Amino acid sequence: MLDVKDVVTAYGKIEALKGVSLSVEPGSITCLLGPNGAGKTTLMYTIAGILRPRRGSVRFGGDELVGQSADRVVNRGIALVPENRLVFPQMSVTENLAAGAYLRHDHGEIASDLEKLFARFPALKERRSQPAGTLSGGEQQMLAVARALMSRPKLLMMDEPSMGLAPLVVEEIFRIVGELNRDGITIFMVEQNAHMALKVAHKFFLMEQGKVTFAGAPGEVAQDEVIRRAYLGSAKAT
Amino acid sequence: MSDFAVGLISNIGMITFVALSAYLLLVSGSISFGQQAYFGLGAYAAGIATTLWDWPLALGLAFGALTGALGGGLVGALTRRLHGLYFAIATLAFAEMTRLALDLWRYQRPIGGELVGPDGPNGFAGIRRAFTDGWEPLSFMILIWVLLAGTMLVLILFERSRSGAALRGAGEDPVLARALGTDVARLRVNTAAAAGAIAGLGGGLYAHLNTYIEPRLFDVMLGVHALAYGIIGGLGTAFGPLIGVLIDIGILESSRLFQGWRMVVFGGLVALLLIWRPRGLLDEATVRRLRRLFTTPARHA
Amino acid sequence: MIVDIVQTLLNGLAAGAAYALLGVGFTMMFGVMRRLNLSYGATLMFGGYLGALLASRAGGALPDAALVLLAAAVTVAGATLAGLYVERLCFAPLRGRSGVAAMVSSFAVWMQIEEFSTWLLPLHTNPYPAPFNVASWQLGALTLRPEHLLTLLVAVLVAILLHRLLRASRFGLAVRTLSDSPAAAQAVGIDAGRTTLLAFLAASTVGGIGAWLVLVADQQVTPMFGMWSMAKGLIAMMLGGLGSIPGAVAGGLLLGVLEASGQALFGPQIRELIAWGALFLVLVLRPGGLFGRAAFDLDIAAHQRL
Ligand SMILES: Nc1ncnc2c1ncn2[C@@H]1O[C@H](COP(=O)(O)OP(=O)(O)OP(=O)(O)O)[C@@H](O)[C@H]1O
Ligand SMILES: [Mg+2]
Repeated sequence: MLDVKDVVTAYGKIEALKGVSLSVEPGSITCLLGPNGAGKTTLMYTIAGILRPRRGSVRFGGDELVGQSADRVVNRGIALVPENRLVFPQMSVTENLAAGAYLRHDHGEIASDLEKLFARFPALKERRSQPAGTLSGGEQQMLAVARALMSRPKLLMMDEPSMGLAPLVVEEIFRIVGELNRDGITIFMVEQNAHMALKVAHKFFLMEQGKVTFAGAPGEVAQDEVIRRAYLGSAKAT
Repeated sequence: MSDFAVGLISNIGMITFVALSAYLLLVSGSISFGQQAYFGLGAYAAGIATTLWDWPLALGLAFGALTGALGGGLVGALTRRLHGLYFAIATLAFAEMTRLALDLWRYQRPIGGELVGPDGPNGFAGIRRAFTDGWEPLSFMILIWVLLAGTMLVLILFERSRSGAALRGAGEDPVLARALGTDVARLRVNTAAAAGAIAGLGGGLYAHLNTYIEPRLFDVMLGVHALAYGIIGGLGTAFGPLIGVLIDIGILESSRLFQGWRMVVFGGLVALLLIWRPRGLLDEATVRRLRRLFTTPARHA
Repeated sequence: MIVDIVQTLLNGLAAGAAYALLGVGFTMMFGVMRRLNLSYGATLMFGGYLGALLASRAGGALPDAALVLLAAAVTVAGATLAGLYVERLCFAPLRGRSGVAAMVSSFAVWMQIEEFSTWLLPLHTNPYPAPFNVASWQLGALTLRPEHLLTLLVAVLVAILLHRLLRASRFGLAVRTLSDSPAAAQAVGIDAGRTTLLAFLAASTVGGIGAWLVLVADQQVTPMFGMWSMAKGLIAMMLGGLGSIPGAVAGGLLLGVLEASGQALFGPQIRELIAWGALFLVLVLRPGGLFGRAAFDLDIAAHQRL
């Protein structure tokens, strides 16, 4: 479904991605693991069309995405739940969701999607006219997910959705991820919480210093010393 | 040297004082649209001291600088909680208040049979101390540039010192600077006072060279020009503001090139320059490269 | 006595309504760019000069009413056109980069537009076509001036239209997301470049209408108009709280009333001093604006490194 090949993305002279290749199968939950500064967020932004790569290609369902603007990428069916949630703090919950549907023109459908999402996230419904900046961290994360869903994505990219949240909320988020996936949405997520990630993922990639250094299925992980050192070890420490 | 050249070179020197004043604040991370206020306050203070109170020129100039420092320090202290745009606009508001207050202010005394002193919008004429003391336009020009060179030397030495580094650090990342133990609020007040002193000194010189000043000379145009000069010349070195003034006043105004169209040309050039180099001609990276160019051969020798 | 107070208030509100539009235009530009457009006043002056130029060239050939309407159209269009030039030259190329550079660049272009305008009409004072041959109306002891009524009417109309545009249109949604959080707007696929440009143009148009209201009341335009209208817009914007459109409206009205009462109490020379003094006080004591914004701390973070 998503094929990333040899992508190089740089900030000025510093290359944050040094030739990244990976692929996401349709219908799967794919996790991207890696230490801080590995370039995971950079990769998400590159796929989303927000950052432009120096080289390489990003194909989605056969279309080349490199060179397309961010709104085109959303239109193709990719939605991003950005790192740190990034809700619109002064706009109401409903307006935040409307912004997620910004590129759609089917007004009737938008209204019914809104009601469906409110059914899925009852906490948001209760706070529908409250400014998003006043929601709790967990509620903001739900809002960011719901906002992304408003564009009716085929592929949902999530950048560290569990960051800074209490264990119960993290469970809740992973439960929703599973549900969405069962509904047919492909998930590509960055996750620091390796234990949780490996429980739900069908496939994972490990990224270090701008390169994919390992790929596999969760069953293979525990045996692999490389991952234990590079990743699980540091996750336990925090 | 022709009178025209002497006048022009003196002018460049005096405007550079205001530009340096804005530059110093810029380096510390604050944008000021209001350094013309201290230039004006310095001009009035120095003029009053030498003309109405009969102080010697040197004391008058010092008094001008002191007044500028007090004004700058006061505003710096009042606005120490403000950042970015809020600070910039507060300085603008203060400068306009100063100008409008000078428009209302009368303080005159009969001297030699005529009334002398600030007379509201009619200005303040007869600041003749420098010329009765025997300064010629040429020698006064040299005085201006000696004082300017001294000021720039102090600034350059300061920038290389530890406090100078702290200042630049606070400008680039105030949160980090605070975490590293810099008292950012105090640093900002002191910087504002120093910048006020520099502008005030320039103002005192201006009053004595022209012998006449009026409030409207110290309007926003002067202040924003001063700021622009620093950015055009470059934020990497104290020579930046001087280069900015040289380009605008030295080349474009004096050459009468593009007469009547100077601003159309200059404005467009500045806009294009800033697309190409957003931190000016001599930005930090260029200065570092130049410094390396000049120091490496010395090390080999 | 009471009548005097009411009259002063009325005069102040009428002037303030025009200030409010100047402030709203400024605020919209700031909202989408987080940058101060220093050439704002100059672009309005350019529009005013085009209107005056029209009057001086074609004034005799046109019926009065047509001239007034045409001058209004030319002024608003001129301000918008100059806004397009400024956005393309000063802000679009520097988006996401140094804010100081963009600001200085817009200052340089201020000088440019101002010089170009005075080249069009070199005289200091230029008559501006105004629709008021009608005398003032008396309402008891109150004097109702036609230009005041026009200003209030137009300002209220523009405010309502703008409110609808921002609250109920797709474009308005894009503008508000961009003002609220540029990074989040990017993540949901909003085209920041295009939205900024369109919002900038809309803001120039609103400012142009405000400028027109001032010019028809003054019946003239001078080279000081650029500086003057920028000052009024800036003070209106900051008094109400940077970044808030209702705040800018309130700030503009307050500024008008402050100036009118200051003038009534202490004479015309004090008028401007009061305006700047009020701004300085508000910034020092309540930087988030009179109509308070708890978000000031967020603003500090956002604008610290302009
Ligand atoms: N805007 C930027 N400008 C310059 N360098 C950047 C920028 N954003 C990221 N980088 C650098 O690029 C590298 C990759 O950053 P990125 O944010 O993609 O890492 P990450 O894997 O998402 O890390 P984390 O787990 O901490 O979120 C880092 O070295 C970072 O310092
Ligand atoms: Mg990241």
